[in-house]
Amino acid sequence: MRTVQRRLLIVTLTLGVSAPNVWATDYASEQGYIQEFPVVLSASRLSQPLSEAPNAMTVIDHKMIVASGFRTITDLFKLVPGMYVSYYKGHQAFVSYHGSTDQYARRMQVMIDGRSVYLPPVSMVDWADLPITVDDIERIEVIRGPAAASHGANSTQGVISIITRDAGGANGKSLSVTRGSKGVNDISARFGNSGETLDYRMTLAYSADNGYDDLATPPNNIPVTQFQATTLLNNGNDSNQARLLNYRADYHPNSADRFDVQFGFNHDVQGVGFNDKNPTPTNPRSTNGNTFHDLIANSGFLQLEWIHLLENTSELSLRYYHIRQDQHEAFPVYLRGVFFTNPVVQSVQTSRDEIEVQHTLSISASNRLVYGAAYRADRVSGQGNIPALSQAYSSSSNTNEYRMFAHDEWRITPRLLLNAGGMHERDRMGHQNLSPRIALNFHFTPLHTFRMGASVAYRTPALAEEKFPALMIGVLFVPSQTVTSPGLLPERLVSREIGYLGEFPDWATSLDVRLFSDQVSNGIFYDKTFTGVFVNKMSALYQGLEATLKHSFSEKSDLTVNFAHELANSNGPALVAAGQRALRSASPWTNDILSASTPRNSASLLYSQRLANDFSFSAAYYHQDAMQPFDRGPIDYQPIQRRMDVRVAKAFHEVGGVKGDVALVLQNLLNKGYTEYIANNVFNRRGYVTLSLNW
Amino acid sequence: MSIRKKLARWLLQHVLLGIGLVPLICAAENLRVLVVLSDNSAPYLTFSKTFSQNLPAAIQVTVLEQLPGSSPDVPQADLIVAVGMKASEFAAAKSVTPMLAAMIPRTGYEGLFDKQRRAKEISAIYLDQPWNRQLDFLRAALPEQRRIGLLYSPDMNIGIAGLQQKIADRGGVLIAQPVRSAGVLFPSLEDILANSDILLAIPDSRIYSSSNIRNILLTSYRRGVPLVGFSQAYVNAGALAAIFTTPEQLAEQTSATVISFAKLKQLPEPQYPAIFTIALNLQVARSLGIDLNSAEAIRKIMDKTTGEGR
Repeated sequence: MRTVQRRLLIVTLTLGVSAPNVWATDYASEQGYIQEFPVVLSASRLSQPLSEAPNAMTVIDHKMIVASGFRTITDLFKLVPGMYVSYYKGHQAFVSYHGSTDQYARRMQVMIDGRSVYLPPVSMVDWADLPITVDDIERIEVIRGPAAASHGANSTQGVISIITRDAGGANGKSLSVTRGSKGVNDISARFGNSGETLDYRMTLAYSADNGYDDLATPPNNIPVTQFQATTLLNNGNDSNQARLLNYRADYHPNSADRFDVQFGFNHDVQGVGFNDKNPTPTNPRSTNGNTFHDLIANSGFLQLEWIHLLENTSELSLRYYHIRQDQHEAFPVYLRGVFFTNPVVQSVQTSRDEIEVQHTLSISASNRLVYGAAYRADRVSGQGNIPALSQAYSSSSNTNEYRMFAHDEWRITPRLLLNAGGMHERDRMGHQNLSPRIALNFHFTPLHTFRMGASVAYRTPALAEEKFPALMIGVLFVPSQTVTSPGLLPERLVSREIGYLGEFPDWATSLDVRLFSDQVSNGIFYDKTFTGVFVNKMSALYQGLEATLKHSFSEKSDLTVNFAHELANSNGPALVAAGQRALRSASPWTNDILSASTPRNSASLLYSQRLANDFSFSAAYYHQDAMQPFDRGPIDYQPIQRRMDVRVAKAFHEVGGVKGDVALVLQNLLNKGYTEYIANNVFNRRGYVTLSLNW
Repeated sequence: MSIRKKLARWLLQHVLLGIGLVPLICAAENLRVLVVLSDNSAPYLTFSKTFSQNLPAAIQVTVLEQLPGSSPDVPQADLIVAVGMKASEFAAAKSVTPMLAAMIPRTGYEGLFDKQRRAKEISAIYLDQPWNRQLDFLRAALPEQRRIGLLYSPDMNIGIAGLQQKIADRGGVLIAQPVRSAGVLFPSLEDILANSDILLAIPDSRIYSSSNIRNILLTSYRRGVPLVGFSQAYVNAGALAAIFTTPEQLAEQTSATVISFAKLKQLPEPQYPAIFTIALNLQVARSLGIDLNSAEAIRKIMDKTTGEGR
């Protein structure tokens, strides 16, 4: 008996030892079936599908980003129906919705991983100085319409939410080099690792280009006399060099807690200024307070987030972030023809601290609630010194604001979903605003959904609107220390929409259409009858239709088509009649400045195809009807814009542990006088090649 | 729950009616069952509890909650029920008593016991689901998702060719990719996600380890490809669905087999689990825009397809 047992034991042991390796033995065990895992896709990680979202939403995913060939983040928004993406200078991009604004588009919330990056004093986004590259982006969600209930202050016309790659999403190392025309010269290195409890990734990048071509003569056969008369802006100095890094770590020591740590830094040098106003033999006593010079910006951020999983999949998150931007410029000036070499010096320091706490919970299987509160402190200080005028000035401003918000998603029946929520804020000027939102999504069938929604949102006046700089010299805004626009109120927007989302699996097609009507009241504009005064007198109505169609011709080819048809009308003509010069329309076709600055039709098309032998091809086409940029003169009238970009890439198989691909991008292939915002911003055909290696 | 209970009852009744209740109790009087657990963690204890509850009082049950040390005296018994691989290895080595191994995967059983069948009477109730059932489940739950992605370690004999055929029979395609080293796991995952509609997890502990699961789930979610797992833990973590048999369900089936043994003094052939659970993650389904049927409806469709003769 004993012997038998011993033999059996030996047999068992031998079998165990002879098993080829560890995992094969494990496969023959029950451990895989009974092991426990942490909750990975928790409520806050799960995004609402488009058919259940309370707003119209466009998602630009990584595949689209690659296929578009774009190397700047802002260009990606050309793939969103109804967006106006343009450039004041080669590096000063702005993105607006419902037509063009001035070059400081400030009616949208822009977030990177939940961090609000529109900054005072202008409440704009300095896109060139963000510490991320296009390749750091996992996905962009653009909400078309107000969404203060879920995205906080300034979510007036829309929300751009940029989601960067997860810390665990980048294993290994990669190197990417881009060279091209117009001085395009980018290099980036990335590395990352995902481990048992710590994932991290890091990017180091340099990005440079020379902006637009320096045009000596005005484009589009504009007579030189008009060119000079309207002081057409040139682009002789709009190069950009950014040196940046960003880091993200995800520490998850146990199944209930997750810590997301991020920081980044960008040192950006932008060529700014104009030489049009330099004295000439014909105009020897000219003044130029913004000569060619460099604007140096250092921006950095630190973001810490703790996500704690409570029982019943309820989740608590606590987020803190700090953003800081220091901008500096020094430049000589011409005053009445006299050149002053002793430079004008201006600098502006901006910082923001915000803390937000949020609780996400499922009240029942059919009801999910998110609520929370946030506090934000903004600080702006600016200094200027003009030796030629023996003038020095400075200002500083500390403001704070708080908000409380709640958003509830209630599945009343399997077919009917109600999204309701609101935000109450006390803004930095002390105004108390309530921004509610309600939307009903009705799944007519699982594949066909109708949505009806209404919402209200506010935009707090920018610091620069409330305290307009006493001197407009150089590029930076050093706000006035005193209020120049007393009694300025937040702009208010009431939005209504009806949408339809349909899936047609038999045709591999989906369609997203919406009709909207957005009413702006208390609209803020610059009152030229006084110096430095902004007023709340504008009201406008934007109505239109937006559509996105996606179709797959096969598993290897995809098409996305976006279209927007939009009409705007405002009380602009009445205000002009009452003496408001600032709202005079420069368009030859309409005397309504907002109607003139809103392109009636715009469209974009992105096609991508995977070919044999690891080749891939994509092409994009952009169309925008003629329009008059909001605050520009007649010379900057933008005729119909058409642009086509193509990208061809070839991936290489692994050689010695290294994989990679090489891609060629040609932009504005048709080279049909595509201009952006300023008539001289002629975007001539350009190309670049990117080589990426990863190991 | 109700369906599970119903099936369990059905199975019990089936066995009870088949062998006759009265002779069973008489026969059971003498039966001593030794339950050996691999360890005293929750799944084994749950099994042991349910197992005992489902036996008539006449069957005498002794439970070893932990494997005894170096020179143990295994209590005398007419039948050993070994729960888990460790317990099965132990019992196989230490005793010649007839043995029913439960809660072990089929490969584990085959690897360890095939050569010992002559030495003593031995059989098993597997923990894993047969491929046919898993594939019927996928087709019933996700009829639109036909490209089934599978990552596996190459030295794990999962029979790719046979699986490919079974999937093809159901109108699907198998996209299988071997993972040869830890370094290529995530590139391989990206490749497979680019070409698949579903990622089917298998109990390959090198790929689906607790340290990898996080990134596998996040990556597949980002690519819009649902993961289908094989335990409740997968669904809790973020898998779209899973088909599995719980320790309770296995215990019910095991107790029924023990009752049958008490009567016939003979163990049946090794069997797959007769009862199974379907778990769905509706939040994930919604987020991915997948319209899932209820678990009951999926089960009905599976019953129908099985009835079609497969």
